Amino acid sequence: MAGSWVDAILAAGAVPASYVPDASAGRTDLDEFTGADLVEDAELRTRSVADARPLSPGAVGFLDGIEQWRVVGYGGVTPIVRGYVAAAVRRRGPDRRLCTTSEQSRELAVTRLASLAAPVRRALETCGVDVVEFAAEEAGQPARAIEAARRELERARLALERALAERCLAQLGPDEWLVVDGVLSDSVALSAHPRAVGVIKSHGAQYFEGAELERALTLPAGHRTSVFEPRSRGARRAIYSWYLRFWPWEGNDLLYGLVRVEARAHADTLARASAMSAWLLRERSPLSTPDARWDRLLYPIHDVETYLRSRAPNDLLSHHASRLPRTGS
Amino acid sequence: MIQTRDPEPVGRVVATELKPATPHQFHFWTANETTIGIGAIVRVAEPGKQPGKEEGERVVYGVVTDGLAYSDLATPLHDVVGAEGDPAKAAESPTIRQEIRLWTAAVLRQHPEEPLQPVPLGAVYVATDADVAQALRMDAYVAGTQPTGIPVGLYTAAGLEAPVYLDADFLLGPEAAHLNISGVSGLATKTSAVEFLLASIFQHFPAHKGRIAALCFNVKGPDLCFLDRPGALDDADRRRYERLGITPQPFERVRYYAPFKADGVNLNTLRTHPDLVGDVEPLVWGLAEVLDFAEVLLNRDDIDAKADAFIDFLSDRVLNKEFDDGFGGSHRVQSFADLDGLFRAIFDGLELSGRSDMWRTHHIATIRKVRNRLSNISTRCKGLVTDDGPSHDLPWGRFEDRTVYVVDVANVDPLGQDLVFARAVSKLREHLERRDLGVDAVVVFVDELNKYAPGDGPETYVRKMLLDISERGRYLGLVLFGAEQFRSQVHRRVVGNAGTTLFGRMDADELATPGYHVLSPAVKIKLATLPIGELMLRHPHFTQPIFVRFPRPAVLRGRDGVERFPPGADLPFEEAVVRQLVRLDRRIRPNQVKDLIAERRPDDVRRALAAVRRTRPDDALAYFRRMLGARVAPAAAPAREAVPPLNPISEEPY
Repeated sequence: MAGSWVDAILAAGAVPASYVPDASAGRTDLDEFTGADLVEDAELRTRSVADARPLSPGAVGFLDGIEQWRVVGYGGVTPIVRGYVAAAVRRRGPDRRLCTTSEQSRELAVTRLASLAAPVRRALETCGVDVVEFAAEEAGQPARAIEAARRELERARLALERALAERCLAQLGPDEWLVVDGVLSDSVALSAHPRAVGVIKSHGAQYFEGAELERALTLPAGHRTSVFEPRSRGARRAIYSWYLRFWPWEGNDLLYGLVRVEARAHADTLARASAMSAWLLRERSPLSTPDARWDRLLYPIHDVETYLRSRAPNDLLSHHASRLPRTGS
Repeated sequence: MIQTRDPEPVGRVVATELKPATPHQFHFWTANETTIGIGAIVRVAEPGKQPGKEEGERVVYGVVTDGLAYSDLATPLHDVVGAEGDPAKAAESPTIRQEIRLWTAAVLRQHPEEPLQPVPLGAVYVATDADVAQALRMDAYVAGTQPTGIPVGLYTAAGLEAPVYLDADFLLGPEAAHLNISGVSGLATKTSAVEFLLASIFQHFPAHKGRIAALCFNVKGPDLCFLDRPGALDDADRRRYERLGITPQPFERVRYYAPFKADGVNLNTLRTHPDLVGDVEPLVWGLAEVLDFAEVLLNRDDIDAKADAFIDFLSDRVLNKEFDDGFGGSHRVQSFADLDGLFRAIFDGLELSGRSDMWRTHHIATIRKVRNRLSNISTRCKGLVTDDGPSHDLPWGRFEDRTVYVVDVANVDPLGQDLVFARAVSKLREHLERRDLGVDAVVVFVDELNKYAPGDGPETYVRKMLLDISERGRYLGLVLFGAEQFRSQVHRRVVGNAGTTLFGRMDADELATPGYHVLSPAVKIKLATLPIGELMLRHPHFTQPIFVRFPRPAVLRGRDGVERFPPGADLPFEEAVVRQLVRLDRRIRPNQVKDLIAERRPDDVRRALAAVRRTRPDDALAYFRRMLGARVAPAAAPAREAVPPLNPISEEPY
């Protein structure tokens, strides 16, 4: 269908374009300081998890999502973006192999309909593609419009992931856990579930300052911080969280090998924080190379991404062909 | 042509710029747990079409020639890092990496065959019986009004056991012919494969192609000595025989031939158990038989026009004729003894006359050389070559349909083996050319081609003859089944002319020789580890080598045979003569024979015995007595005359 609606808007007068922006740079809505309340210790401490007995669930589902997009045309200076979002849960059982248990995808066009010429708008509206609009104030400048389109796409992905996660939670067995790539606190169901874990690789949001921040970000490998509760922002739910270092950061970067774990705000989480950390530490192997984020990316999550990318429409990827202007003939 | 079915695909063809699908090769992946392996035959259906349900769909058959497995591990170092340098930890990773089983297959057949196109990127299915027949183009000769299929074994892969047939027109002529089998000793089951295939040929050789027989040279141990005795088969063998449509039974008609030992009465074979030795016919040749193939006896240094000319002279002018030696003597040469008498007369005559070194244009050195070679064969092959008796030969002109003729030369001197081989094959060729052998085609089984037709070394009569069979035999119905350990060391034209080739377990060094470069490393490793009973097969109809499994031959194996029928001990001369006569006529009393031969010269007894054997009279004893003749008192040895030296070098007394 993708080809058909793109052809339709081009036929309707949109100027063809081919621009694939950089890959996802992480969530854009968490880039701020919010603060946190410690729940395990009076002040943020570092704790070794070397002696902790790792949690060993009978089965684990791993959830992740992808978004791919391409500017496929311009109506005037308003970009028309073709986007694709997908999410999947891959389950690992006793055989240690991953297999897909559920997945969902969605293709959408992101633009501002009112800024398009009538024929292009009609073409978009009649060809059956989901159209998501960004705000009118973003449509004036192409750069802002593209950024707005990206945010809309991200929202669509997060929604897809959340829906899939909630559906998966409903089917989770008694000895089965769900590991989510990202925060849990966006979803009521996820943040309240006893066997859901969020692993956050990007650290746009900061919860500490001063010595505690330094302690958190210079955490030695194989250690975790005290459990804390990030202060709520907006509609976010109460959640327990802690930092965990997979690999030694010295010689690399402060954030190298550093993840933040989220789990239900419950006394059980407090009791199992070290066991869960030891389990996640075991998940460092196998390495998720060649992904550049391998120091923080769990292999099963990497596997879900690989799976989703292999099923995404291949015409959304950037072309190897030259972008030089075409010659007259 | 295409069957209706609803199979599950086991793989999918993939193609990249670096690994594209071509008209001759393609790549496909399967699940990690799969029945596919090296040598498996698969079927590719064009994508987007229901397999087997639409006409005109492109179907490609291929055979798996290579396999790859790899994971998403970027470099081995990452595995070390992930396991923190501890191999035990690597096995404890909570998740197993994604792996792939990627297979390479060579195209066996495409349908439709034109236009020839790259293999479609479709689903891959395990081949069925019908697919195997299609893939190997067996449909062209197994079915029809005059089928020519000869079962050679079962294709066994992916849980399937499908019969594989050779085309008789390409195995036994006239389109192509000859079979070559190679492999390491003991593990390649070369002899067993030939025994099984001969049984298959005898049961499936098409009636419209006429009559067929086999001549097998037993050149080592008791290999072929018990072809008429049933061997042990298990249920799996019987099931395979049933699948192939072959009755598991020993050969119904086997004729054994073996020369005598030096004593001229005990047979030189391992089939001498009292229950079996009665079936063994002696193979005895006289001067006439040997002289026809005297070239066999000459080594490279001997080959010259003079020796040839003298041998021709003996054959044309002397043998079986009244001949004047030029010194006043008359000779009728019928045996080695007669010939030696002539030689002695010539030497004595020349020495006494002192007139020259030449006798009838032949130099005395040439005469001495030929005498030396001829007397050498009668000495080294005593028992095969009779000094002065009648010959007993294969039944030229009376070969019977579906009969195996085994000539046991395992214990014969190599020179004698060459002679037997050369003469037997030459006679076959003569009779087949004249169409009076008794059968229309003969399979000649020769083991140890490394010895008889080496790729290098001196040109021998035997090798020339093997080359001749290889190149011309298919027109005559003379089919060579050759076996050897090292194919690379057999003459190229001998192996090159074999239309059908079988490979058993191969030696790794042999596989490293240039002749095997067309095989993938995976196929080579499979060849180097082939289990007993499995062979790789090449046949003109098959575009790629195929692996087949054959059941054990339904005959008693050689070493089992000598355990069940231990060879009898050599009998004393008298007892051996008695046994041979009693076998011909059961009314004969041993004492009658012993009385007759007491104090008789053994040569006279042997000659009389040979005459009885050849004539097979109703009253064997009476005939034997007549052949022995009256008892004659030994003549006194003549006084030896002094012989002057031949051509004194000098007149000087010193």
